[in-house]
Amino acid sequence: MSLKQIVPSRKAKPQSRSRKNLGWLLLVPASAVLALVIGWPLINLIILSFQEFGRAQVFGADIEFIGFENYSNILTDDGFWQVLNRSLVFAAVVVVSTMVVGTLVALLMNFVPKRIKVLVQIGLLVAWAMPQLTAVIVWGWMFNTEYGVFNYLLSQIPGVDFYGHSWLSNPISFFGVAALIITWQSVPFVALTIYAGLTQIPKEMIEAAWLDGASGWQRFKDLTFPLLRPIFTIVIILQIIWDLRVFTQIYALQGLGGLREETNTLGVYIYLTSLGSGEFGLGGAIAVVMVVLMSAVSAFYIKRTLEDMDN
Amino acid sequence: MMKPVSLLGQGALATLMRKEQKMRKSAVVAMFGVAALTLVGCTTAEDTTSGSTTDNDTSSDSATSEDAVTGDIRVWINGGDTPDSAREYLIETFEAENPGSTLTIEQQDWGGLVEKLTTSMSGSDSPDLVEIGNTWAPGFTSAEAFMDLSPYFDELGGDDLLPGFVEVGTFDGTFYAPPYYAGSRLVFYSKSDFAEAGVEVPTTLTEYVEVAETLNSELGTSGVYFPGKDWYNALPYIWENGGEVAVNDGGTWDAQLSSASSIAGLELVKRAMDSSNAAKDGDEAESWVAYCEGGHSMLSAPSWAAGLLVPREDAPCERSADDLGVFALPGADGGAAQIFAGGSNLAIPQASQNPELALSAMKIMLSPEYQTIMGNNGLVPALTSLGDTLGEGEIPEAVSAAAANSKLTPASPNWADVEASGVLQDMFVKIASGEDIADAAATADAAIEDILNG
Repeated sequence: MSLKQIVPSRKAKPQSRSRKNLGWLLLVPASAVLALVIGWPLINLIILSFQEFGRAQVFGADIEFIGFENYSNILTDDGFWQVLNRSLVFAAVVVVSTMVVGTLVALLMNFVPKRIKVLVQIGLLVAWAMPQLTAVIVWGWMFNTEYGVFNYLLSQIPGVDFYGHSWLSNPISFFGVAALIITWQSVPFVALTIYAGLTQIPKEMIEAAWLDGASGWQRFKDLTFPLLRPIFTIVIILQIIWDLRVFTQIYALQGLGGLREETNTLGVYIYLTSLGSGEFGLGGAIAVVMVVLMSAVSAFYIKRTLEDMDN
Repeated sequence: MMKPVSLLGQGALATLMRKEQKMRKSAVVAMFGVAALTLVGCTTAEDTTSGSTTDNDTSSDSATSEDAVTGDIRVWINGGDTPDSAREYLIETFEAENPGSTLTIEQQDWGGLVEKLTTSMSGSDSPDLVEIGNTWAPGFTSAEAFMDLSPYFDELGGDDLLPGFVEVGTFDGTFYAPPYYAGSRLVFYSKSDFAEAGVEVPTTLTEYVEVAETLNSELGTSGVYFPGKDWYNALPYIWENGGEVAVNDGGTWDAQLSSASSIAGLELVKRAMDSSNAAKDGDEAESWVAYCEGGHSMLSAPSWAAGLLVPREDAPCERSADDLGVFALPGADGGAAQIFAGGSNLAIPQASQNPELALSAMKIMLSPEYQTIMGNNGLVPALTSLGDTLGEGEIPEAVSAAAANSKLTPASPNWADVEASGVLQDMFVKIASGEDIADAAATADAAIEDILNG
């Protein structure tokens, strides 16, 4: 049975011209707000990225336009490329782990009895509602070198001695801890969203597929996933954006341990350049690069979805 | 940043979930929202640039005018360091000396204050008098954020002001920011541990490290609690061995951590760190908690931490009050070592609307009466002649001894950037973890020169 037959067909309703105009009119207020709160700061950011703008300029020194100097500075800086690569790899790992775990939890919730489902949902909501900084501090204590519960538990295994092991001083295990914290806090959003989508799939379809002898994996691959594809798309985009510009968790973890220079990600790097070092022009240029990067990611998915709609 | 985004995502997704037919359209709409929000997240870094017009016509000369000026001034005091009695004294004295004017104290949090000061002092709503962390001073003085106070140097205390703080508050020969108070680092120790290991209070820095090593090998405790990121406490080792972090060589900063003298100091740091059971990449925050746990025989900490190293009502402590001893970190040749001087400076923002009144308030805050209140509350007064206001006893004596020989980080406008980059923490963590000292120092030197000269 192919997908086309399952999904109810849509009928396009002919719209009158005045209705169409009304549609454009209704878009005006939202567009105006977006232009004001997003367009204006963005224009300022772009202007800033072409200026020599440090603390002296904040206090009234003359502002000089320096063309692409900020851009050539960052693009020829090895440090920037290291940070960019690190951020991309880290975001990829976290997005994949979040999506896999989140989807599995959502599928699980679809099968377990109601009481357990409510318990799982409460657990997820609590994890989600926890302020990021609080989460990092709690996890940080669990991985603490001297008092951490992980070191204690691991050391209970015969022949294993993790006392005094520092999880954050090695960049790889630093990012392991960071990925764990971020995944832990992102899974609830993914799981609840996908679960909500799952509840909208008519039971009859699943039943029909089951009767036709489709395995669990086949039912997911050929039925559930295509139906929920728009949800997956938007959740993945959101995760990519959030994970690429991750700030709080990395910045706070750096305060708990680890080597700052080897663990900076894009968000932290922009913060340190702009507010830490007072080089607002340079930080602005890095931010513009990040905007372009993330817009490209978003545009790719928007294009894909539009193509899907046309089919 | 995460919250508004997730709320929108949630709202859009709630729509998505209603019917499969509507799913696709809604998804696209939400995606435009996402694309837009991508942009929001990245523009916050430049918030501070708005409204950067500065009022430069508040020339310092006008402050000498005898005309009675009245106004309402706002004073920024940071954290709870300044005692209430001093605040009351400031308000009462100011309003008595300046009839018709009022003074309001607005307490600020230390965290994120550099950013807040940058924003507020560049706008039209600037506070009139601010307290700043001493190592931040060059970052602001070099940007001409403060009023020139050179003509009032003598009135504000002159040569009696803490010299290290005057130096950091001066840029290019112009005096901008007098000291407010200083903190001081002391070595606290357990008398019973010393007796058990059979060691005496050390009189030189090398002896101090040897005592730490003995305590560690005899008792298994940390000789001195020394987490890897604690660069404040590591600086004296470099200075006492004749090394420097960086020196200004004809306008160019030359980082000195890999000089022979500095390396000798860093080797001593390594020995002290090896005697410690603290995390090799831990920091010094809450070090009193570790001390109270009982596994550490010595601890180098700010003087005000003394009250936290004994059992308190709300916090138990394995160490008794009788057991707590204290001394100033000894120098290479005896006497007190040159320690890192924490503390604050005061300054009047260029954008202040009432510079004359702000100056009047500043004079009160640097008066012997006001500074005596600070001294009585355990803060090292800005006036060196008031050292005895700290009182009598072991701790005040150690504080005075240590403060008399305090030293600051390089007075470069970019020094705050060095601190923000974490390069010093990174270097000491590497040293604590057993990496090659010369390599770690050379890497740090390159990074520091890059920032200071950049």
